[in-house]
Amino acid sequence: MDLQSLILALQQYWGAAGCVIQKPYDLEVGAGTMHPETFLRVLGPEPYRVAYVQPSRRPADARYGENPFRLGKHLQLQVILKPSPDDVQELYLRSLHALGIDPAVHDIRFEEDNWESPTLGAWGVGWQVLLDGMEITQFTYFQQAGGIELAPISAELTYGLERIAMFLQRRDSIYDVVWGGGRRYGDVRLKEEWESSVYGFEVADVGMLRRHFEDWEREAARCLDHDPPLVIPALEATLKTSHLFNLMDARGAVSVTERVGLIGRIRRNAVRVAKAYVAQREAMEHPLGNALEGVAHV
Amino acid sequence: MSDFLLEVRTEEIPANALPSARRQLREALNRALVEEGFEGADVHTFSTNRRLVALVSGLPGRQPDRTEVLTGPPARVAFDADGAPTKAAEGFARKAGVPVEQLERVETPKGEYLSATIRLEGRPTAEILAGRIPGIIGALHFPKMMRWGLGTHVFVRPVHGVVAMFDGDVVPMELLDIRSGSRTVGHRVHAPEAFELTHPSAYASELEERRVFIDPAQRRRRLEKLAAELASQVRCHVHPDEALVAEHVELVEFPGLIRGQIDPAHLELPREVVITTLRHHQKCLILEREDGELAPYFLAVVDRADDPEGLIRQGNEWVIGARLSDAAFFFKEDRTHRLEDLVPQLERLEFHRKLGSLAAKAERAGLLARWLVEAAGMTITAGEVERVARLVKADLVTHMVGEFPELQGIMGGHYLRLDGEPEEVWTAARDHYLPQGFEGEIPASDLGRLVGAADRMDSVASLFAVGEVPTGSKDPFGLRRAAQGLVRIVAGAGWTVDLAAFVRRACELAVETAGGDLDVVSSQVMTFVTDRVRRYLVDLAGMAPDTADAVMHAAWSSLPALEARARALEAVRGEPEFRALALAFKRVRNITEGQPDAGVDPALFAEPAERELYEAALAFQGELEMSLAAHRVDEAFAGMGKLAGILDQFFIDVLVMAEDERVRANRIGLLKMLGRDFLTLADLSRLQVEGGES
Repeated sequence: MDLQSLILALQQYWGAAGCVIQKPYDLEVGAGTMHPETFLRVLGPEPYRVAYVQPSRRPADARYGENPFRLGKHLQLQVILKPSPDDVQELYLRSLHALGIDPAVHDIRFEEDNWESPTLGAWGVGWQVLLDGMEITQFTYFQQAGGIELAPISAELTYGLERIAMFLQRRDSIYDVVWGGGRRYGDVRLKEEWESSVYGFEVADVGMLRRHFEDWEREAARCLDHDPPLVIPALEATLKTSHLFNLMDARGAVSVTERVGLIGRIRRNAVRVAKAYVAQREAMEHPLGNALEGVAHV
Repeated sequence: MSDFLLEVRTEEIPANALPSARRQLREALNRALVEEGFEGADVHTFSTNRRLVALVSGLPGRQPDRTEVLTGPPARVAFDADGAPTKAAEGFARKAGVPVEQLERVETPKGEYLSATIRLEGRPTAEILAGRIPGIIGALHFPKMMRWGLGTHVFVRPVHGVVAMFDGDVVPMELLDIRSGSRTVGHRVHAPEAFELTHPSAYASELEERRVFIDPAQRRRRLEKLAAELASQVRCHVHPDEALVAEHVELVEFPGLIRGQIDPAHLELPREVVITTLRHHQKCLILEREDGELAPYFLAVVDRADDPEGLIRQGNEWVIGARLSDAAFFFKEDRTHRLEDLVPQLERLEFHRKLGSLAAKAERAGLLARWLVEAAGMTITAGEVERVARLVKADLVTHMVGEFPELQGIMGGHYLRLDGEPEEVWTAARDHYLPQGFEGEIPASDLGRLVGAADRMDSVASLFAVGEVPTGSKDPFGLRRAAQGLVRIVAGAGWTVDLAAFVRRACELAVETAGGDLDVVSSQVMTFVTDRVRRYLVDLAGMAPDTADAVMHAAWSSLPALEARARALEAVRGEPEFRALALAFKRVRNITEGQPDAGVDPALFAEPAERELYEAALAFQGELEMSLAAHRVDEAFAGMGKLAGILDQFFIDVLVMAEDERVRANRIGLLKMLGRDFLTLADLSRLQVEGGES
């Protein structure tokens, strides 16, 4: 199965399972979790189901296109099921069928792997899903986001698309993966990986990155101080600071002592965004409904 | 007699949570059953990664009836002058539910009281279990708990089913909003359909038919048998790995094993890299040839009985090939420069927020290693030892260690060897993290020992300086282990350096970096290190705790001398003269403590026993000097032993606290002189001996 068929099949499957099929966020992000369709939707009592592909940029992981297993930008397919349904594992296993993987002839395992994002003030409990020894999905029950204890709990499924494609096609290099349309992954992305590596490791203007970090950090705060707070613009400004931090980090420009401080500054805004969103939805009287109506809490 | 079954079916529980969960469940059930009056019931708990199970046999259908004795009012107020019951007696009888004439009398220390024996009728066992189980399950504790769905419940993983059966009947209860029943499911792949259980006693076999082994011991037997078979088919043996097998046993419902092949070209990577990739990242068992060489195979544990289309083996082989290629890529990348060229990059790695980078740490360690070289009179140049102290940390910035942190040190050793560094340098990098605490061998070369000891000393001193002091079970930086390693290296190397001065030097450097009060930090670190020294004597050298105390109170900071004195004292302390000496020394200490030392003037001796002790003490002084100079500690202790009788005689014949002030001061001076000489070996008053106060 080529890469694009794999994406289409998963979107088809999760669409049929009641998900909104969203688009990738049109900003640079390090993971699908930063998309407002995850980071914000998991907050508060409103039920929601969504799936989307998210290109995820990790400049420090880039390898000039030389390492056959590592990318500076990779594709995640992210699914959020809120509240997590009782049959979430079965739903997930059926999604593998859609990829032509029949669990009856494979070894599929759920091995403990918990997740934490210090920049988002978020953590969760879950597993990595192994298919015949290969990690294909990160499966997380979100417990906290933006520093806020969550209820209901969302299940987050993150498929690592290139790895799955490599595995299914038994390729020894990501760049040999068949993308679709008669093209290979390398045809589509190799040059970009090389250029991004050169930029991230050698060229990026650290002074400019630093200035823009300060600028966007202030801009996020301005949006949050606005009456009423502008949630999405504030989140977008915060995501920019996160990406700028990643670039500075890849460039080797973040000193050891500075690191914790910068992450803390991103988190501070992320936490404010989360709080502003919760207040906004409350003020809107939770237009998508309240999953907790009539539920007694422990 | 009847049986009870409880099965809580969940999503996959982490391996590390299960052994404790089985134990907690067994203990809580046992406790509850005893509290409810069930004696002799047999409780067993089991688990797979998807279910927690308790099986209880030997239960009666009803709780045994019990009698309880209630105490009522004092007898003197219970009956009036005519012997008729008063209101107090009638009230008590009513409360106890027995006729007044059945009230008894009981003698207590406070006088005679009324009592009533009441019969409590036992309730049906199933009803009692239904009442107790939800509390027991709710009180189970797991290392990491979670919520799911609406977030109403907290448990280790979401719960999907509860079976509670008393013989053939369902015990109705509700656990985390789930009603109990008698249906469960088999193995996820082999028998996923729900089915009806018949009886607790048939539970294990009904699940086994559906490819679930509920007993971890049974899973382990199968796993070990399969592993041995698959290994012997290719004339290999399984590299023993108890921890990994124990983990796999918890991770499955039905263990299967797949043997896959490794591209022999990948075995050219350093052995540790191959092992780490296979073991830590793919949890594979490793096969070795007879000569211990790695064989080009791996064993992957699967949670199923078979590999019907060979896809599982193929998949695992592909993943392992990819992982090893990835490692080979890192290896090649790292080898494009000499490891020494990476040293400046240590600036980029943080050691601690308040202590700056690893470069700064390696700098301090270098200075400490240099201090050791000078103190121990070694012939290594200062420049070389400081260079090696930096070099051994350089692998922390390599791709390989970035990916496999557990290979720190090991990769440094390989890279430095390939860079053509001398053997004592590359083995220093490889070995300097050894030993882990007291366990294992110390580094083979002087350089390895020096940087290993210096690195640990700096970790302890600098982290103490910024307040990262271990408390109770919290020791996030592993400082106890670091200090143990330090003590073990210094003792094992036999360095006659002054450890107290070393501690002081490390604290000076730490305070220069981190600020803080030098005296406060040194005194904290000193206490911490002396405590590890004491543990070393007791736990590792096998000395009695009071032997360790006795020799450490004499002096502790030269470890070889300390250990020699401890061994010598341990050897002789059981002899009668040492028991006598220990007692006599407590007297010496009690008498002389706080008294001024006026010296000894032989002209003032009034009793022969005084002179005799004085002469013996002088002789001992001479022997002591000679035997210590010749490192004959055992002889020194033998000389000490000879004084026991003389000292005893002294205490019999001589009143130390004489009327005459000068005589008294002289006698105290004599005892002090003897005490000083003894104290170069040990403070015998610390020995716990029979007949003495503790």
